[in-house]
Amino acid sequence: MKAPGILKTILLLFLANYLESITAPAFIKIYVAWPVTFLVFSGLVYISSKNINPIYAFCLGIFVDLISNSLFGLNAMLFCLFSYVINSYSNTFKLFSYLQICIFFGASSVFFIGLSNLFLAIENFSYLILFVSFFFNTGLALLIAMSPIYRISVNRRLSEYD
Amino acid sequence: MARVAPSSSTKALYFLCILLGAILLYVDITYKSFDTIKNTYISTTISTKFLFKKITIDPFIYLYELSSSKSQLINKNRNLQAALDKSYLENFIVSRGDKFFMDDEAIIALMSKYEIDQIFHASKIKLFDTTKYFCCDTHIMYIDVISSSDINFTGSAVINSEGILGQVISDNGVKEVLLLTDTSHYIPLETEGYFCNAKGSGRPGIISCTYSSLIWTNPVSNGQKIYSSGLGGIYPRGIPIGYVQGITNIDETNIKIDIKLITNPLKVSMLGIIENQ
Repeated sequence: MKAPGILKTILLLFLANYLESITAPAFIKIYVAWPVTFLVFSGLVYISSKNINPIYAFCLGIFVDLISNSLFGLNAMLFCLFSYVINSYSNTFKLFSYLQICIFFGASSVFFIGLSNLFLAIENFSYLILFVSFFFNTGLALLIAMSPIYRISVNRRLSEYD
Repeated sequence: MARVAPSSSTKALYFLCILLGAILLYVDITYKSFDTIKNTYISTTISTKFLFKKITIDPFIYLYELSSSKSQLINKNRNLQAALDKSYLENFIVSRGDKFFMDDEAIIALMSKYEIDQIFHASKIKLFDTTKYFCCDTHIMYIDVISSSDINFTGSAVINSEGILGQVISDNGVKEVLLLTDTSHYIPLETEGYFCNAKGSGRPGIISCTYSSLIWTNPVSNGQKIYSSGLGGIYPRGIPIGYVQGITNIDETNIKIDIKLITNPLKVSMLGIIENQ
């Protein structure tokens, strides 16, 4: 699949960051951290048919650092790291099942949350948040991955009634 | 089509980018070099948002209110609400019932000492990142005074109708307020003649303070009221800050107390800046 252009990617990341800022205060009450911006970026790298340039990933990371008011370099570094991992294993992912890929994204998001918390919230570092977030993000990735299958199934059933 | 695994030169570029990211991170943590860029972005965002609202939404609201027979009532109601919010702040400071200051003379002494003609400068919240407030150690709020003023408020205490919220750490038009709960914030406190330097915990509404039982011989109990000591010169003396909520023995002599703050920054948007001299 072709990845969206620069402007669309920036807009997507901006909207994802906005969504994250709205949902984070509610989710944190149930010990869940949902790094939407990071997951959107990872998803874009994953679906892209070409490898993402490291400088492009770095610049997007700096942009996210700016709009999310976090430490400069944190997202830039992590975006580069994860785009490298996804690019390196892009062919290996084809051998994986949906579940394994979802677990990979769940684990990546936990790594991202953990590392971000080391810099942004070291005094309130919580393993409980990491643990709950892993299941939440994996489950959410599974839902997104499975949604086309259920949509086809539902459409088929609906067409039977017509 | 299969994607090609990164070549050695691409891997080197990845490594360089990650290294550059790490260097930027280190520089930002150690020297806070990018604060100007971040503050400029925040100021621009706030200004754009208000300008956008003023150009697009406000004219429609104005037209609607103009056409409505109740427009005058709406305006009156709005003015009354603003006056009420302001009076809450005034009452909070001067009222004896709230015990803002430990003794009644304190506020008069403070004002005459520093030749302050205004008790506080009414302000409104412009931006408050609640995500960071709930998740992270950084608790920062951006506010602006309602009536235009040339005073630089850096180092001034910020209050709401419940008590002290924090202090202004930078004033570039929009005022950046470091809340009491930020982990880099310290406030000198006192209770029953004993003093301690409380640090923000990074948790909403909680600050913590460590003391030695060799110095504080009287045991601290849950629910005990804590006041500002006035040391450091930022906050006036004798303002109720909060109540002891939890007591933890760190070792044989050192005891850590968690203080639940009286104030909640999420509650009201009308704030006051006590001018620092």
